[in-house]
Amino acid sequence: MSQYKIIFTGPVGAGKTTAINSISDLPPIKTDAAASDMTKSKKSATTVAMDYGVMNLPGGEKLHLYGTPGQERFDFMWDILVTGGIGLVLLLDNTRADPFVDMKFFLDAFDKFIGDTAVAVGVTQMDVSAKPTIEDYQVQLGGMGLKLPVFAVDARVRNDVSILIQSLLYSLDPGLEE
Amino acid sequence: MDKSKSPLKVALHGMEDRTAKTMVMYLQGPCRGAAVVVSDSEADVDIFDADVAGVSNLMEAHRAKKPHRPVIALSLRDGELAHVFYVKKPVKTDDMLAALNKALAFSGEIKHNETKSAQLSVNADSIQPVIEKPESTHLKSFVIDNDERKKTAKHQAAMQLNEKGFNAFIGNVTGLDVNDPSQFAVANYNPKDYFQGYVESAFKISREQGEIMQLNSGWSPVIIFPHNNEIWLDADDKQLRSFSGLIIANTLDGKISTTAITFESSSLSRSLDKFHSMDAFLWKVACWASKGRYPIAIDVTQPVYLKSWPNFTRLLITPHALRISALLIRGPRTLANVAEVLNIKPQYVFVFISAAYALGLTGQARRESDALIAQSSEIKANKNKGFLSRIMSKLRG
Repeated sequence: MSQYKIIFTGPVGAGKTTAINSISDLPPIKTDAAASDMTKSKKSATTVAMDYGVMNLPGGEKLHLYGTPGQERFDFMWDILVTGGIGLVLLLDNTRADPFVDMKFFLDAFDKFIGDTAVAVGVTQMDVSAKPTIEDYQVQLGGMGLKLPVFAVDARVRNDVSILIQSLLYSLDPGLEE
Repeated sequence: MDKSKSPLKVALHGMEDRTAKTMVMYLQGPCRGAAVVVSDSEADVDIFDADVAGVSNLMEAHRAKKPHRPVIALSLRDGELAHVFYVKKPVKTDDMLAALNKALAFSGEIKHNETKSAQLSVNADSIQPVIEKPESTHLKSFVIDNDERKKTAKHQAAMQLNEKGFNAFIGNVTGLDVNDPSQFAVANYNPKDYFQGYVESAFKISREQGEIMQLNSGWSPVIIFPHNNEIWLDADDKQLRSFSGLIIANTLDGKISTTAITFESSSLSRSLDKFHSMDAFLWKVACWASKGRYPIAIDVTQPVYLKSWPNFTRLLITPHALRISALLIRGPRTLANVAEVLNIKPQYVFVFISAAYALGLTGQARRESDALIAQSSEIKANKNKGFLSRIMSKLRG
């Protein structure tokens, strides 16, 4: 049986672990460790290897959900993670100093993978920091020649994460039926 | 605190990251930016959490290093230390502002005395300027409204309609079958006849003038806050749906007005759960005015394009709206072609276009080349289509 997976990526504290937790059928396996260095200002524990969750599908199939480590020094793992992936979910924290820089960094880092599959962007913490707006993100993406689904997301809310993934799947194939 | 002055620079001590972040937001929000959190080397005032383990030593060490810098201590107990301004927990904004004022005055007094001493000093060598390199701070400057998170309607997750509930929820027009191709030409509506037109007009005026406006319609007034991109309305969705579906241009036109209101009257105590985002509100109003039709400004024979994906997690998701977006974002198509390619009823395309058009997300393709491009009635299926369908089924479960 084929192994399919969706990759969740984004900066430290953007909600990758929480988003996977929201839709996983199993308690996600976390590999958090006490944070040191620059990540400590964002959260006390950070994901050093990867998060893992799973969605059980009819017929016994599984969709695997992997979260990348947020720290850039672990980017050697990203190539391994995306192998066999069907798409990318990019989560951005709207309270970060410059979320556009984050967005560009991750879109560049996963450029090839996105080119072969699709990406959906979720912006978290918009109830804490309303700006930049979703429209601002779209303008930035427009400047990069991209028209991606970009939604305000509360990573704790299953429906938000679900809609984000649905947009990813429809980006891959609008012909999928509801 | 005098708001015309620059904010007081404070350093936080004895607080873990979450508390520190909360303090940053608290000072900028409820305290109206009276103080700003900076690195220790740049601060004029130190704020300590006086209830954490080891804080006494931490405070002592700091006071030895910066003996003249005022200290504010947040504490569960009454304080005893001299020259420390205590704020009792739970921290109240008035108390915090008072403490910041005292610290500011104290700091000014110290600086004044220091200047005086310096002038009196005959030994220039005794003054050793300490040049400290400011530590970089990664704190983003944003102002948080403490009430923002209580605006539940504004931040609530989207409602995803399916085909089954569509007609009952969106409504229809008697005598018109919007799904009959022979009636496509007349399956449109003029937003100006409906509440939608007045809302759009009021939003435009409010945004252009940058003023808080009230839309009066003989029904519940809509207060528009253009800077926050939100509205306030004391009505539930059922009432709004009924009103949005009525043709009011002929009956209420003279009674509908948009008036500017003062900040004071707009700031009256309002139920926070009745705030909505302007976009989500207009989107819904357009869906209910549309009743499955398309806006009259759209030429149904010409392709339309989608500028960007709507922010679906905060909008009413009509049936197939995500699919329609995914298809239209790839390139312009006629509405009928979208329905054909996706094998869905045209009413779902029409209602989506009505809402997206109201938000300025879609438009008519005007280039001749767009009309000339053959619009395929099929799209290439993804190689994993079966698997993707099963994921979709699970997600929508």
